[in-house]
Amino acid sequence: MSQEIIDTVTQYCTKNIPVTLISQGAEAAIFTTPVHPYLQNTNEDEVYIIKYRPSKKYRHPTINKALTKHRTLSESRILAKLFQIKGIKVPKLIACDPYNGYIWLEFLGEDLPNGFGFSNLKNYLWMNATDSYHDNVKNTLVKVGEQIGLLHWNDYCHGDLTSSNIVLVKTESGGTWEPHLIDFGLSSISNLVEDKGVDLYVLERAIISTHSSFSDKYNEWILEGYSNIYKKHGKAGNQRLTEVLARFADVRMRGRKRSMIG
Amino acid sequence: MTTVILPQFEGTEINIALYENVKNSKEIRAKIADLPYALIDAKAIISGEQLLSAIHRALIEVNYNKMRTKSLHSECLLCLSPTSNIGDAFKKFGILDNSTSIIAVHIGAKKEEINYDFIQGTCIEFTDENLGRLADKDYISKIYKLEKTFRPETNSDLSRAVVDAILLRGL
Ligand SMILES: Nc1ncnc2c1ncn2[C@@H]1O[C@H](COP(=O)(O)O)[C@@H](O)[C@H]1O
Repeated sequence: MSQEIIDTVTQYCTKNIPVTLISQGAEAAIFTTPVHPYLQNTNEDEVYIIKYRPSKKYRHPTINKALTKHRTLSESRILAKLFQIKGIKVPKLIACDPYNGYIWLEFLGEDLPNGFGFSNLKNYLWMNATDSYHDNVKNTLVKVGEQIGLLHWNDYCHGDLTSSNIVLVKTESGGTWEPHLIDFGLSSISNLVEDKGVDLYVLERAIISTHSSFSDKYNEWILEGYSNIYKKHGKAGNQRLTEVLARFADVRMRGRKRSMIG
Repeated sequence: MTTVILPQFEGTEINIALYENVKNSKEIRAKIADLPYALIDAKAIISGEQLLSAIHRALIEVNYNKMRTKSLHSECLLCLSPTSNIGDAFKKFGILDNSTSIIAVHIGAKKEEINYDFIQGTCIEFTDENLGRLADKDYISKIYKLEKTFRPETNSDLSRAVVDAILLRGL
């Protein structure tokens, strides 16, 4: 399966664009390449992401084509919209070929020191587990909350908000991290408090399951950042915040019941 | 003249020249139908990234999907445009009688075979610096219908929003 996907992408990109598979999910395969599709003179150590949605054997070819196009486009459109919202940080769209299921994106993040792996939120929290109440950690998590708050305030929902889908990018001065959201494959425009509550719940679960000893603090800081964004909008903001947080509590309760039964 | 070859389409040479202080736009326009080039008003272009993302899309469309216009050169103008109407694309990105800065693009021939002598103006380097200087940013924001609340702080932010519009046109 995997080799077939690699072959398809290699053929599409031609020998001039060497690709390396870095992740394969149910929906998409992620490659990196050092070659930009149309800009020359780019930085030598720059890499780019190619996200490819393979067609599924069990689907009818026509439906396949339509679905691939639809999903590729939907993710690209959301990335384009989000970029125009002040403060939201998402990868830059470089190219998009929805007929064939390809999106080219800016690569975000870097390798963490001491073998802690790629700089997503999950690995970053592992790295800081021994010093988890450090101001830097708080600062980062508040900013994570602000990114989610901005997303939700503008009526977008992520749909798969795990700690691997939050990538930390070093600021230019090098001292702090700027959280960016990635993977908008399941995202949508939505003004439903339910969708927002679910986003918050999914992230809370991810944090509890991988960093359980510190998760209370971590989640508190994320919510602090989240609330900051809503509270900037006065009375209306506070009201909407109350609604989302109430639904979040509700979703959490349902989750608990489900796990007690299951 | 800058020669570009996109890695995915290595058989296709792209040659781009940027002119300022052009004196004979009216004359050029009179014979534009016979000229095998894409002639673009530089005021509508903020960066090399903008132009090249459109050319890349044109080549993707022509190779993997379909050609919607008569030539690669008009396809290139269509791909620059945020709408799918070719007449509209020529109006917004093509040259006018009073255009003073022009980008001439040729796709598919060798550099030696191309002659831009019919343009009376100063040929300058095709760089983001020159493009940024000649660009009309308000015009660009307007033709691409960027969000009213979007206030790009840098040319590269404006360029990024414009590239997004190019990539998503008509889809
Ligand atoms: N723009 C990006 N920059 C860096 N890594 C990425 C990017 N997009 C995807 N990835 C990596 O690929 C994995 C799967 O991507 P996705 O299918 O979009 O969730 C992520 O968890 C990241 O490790």
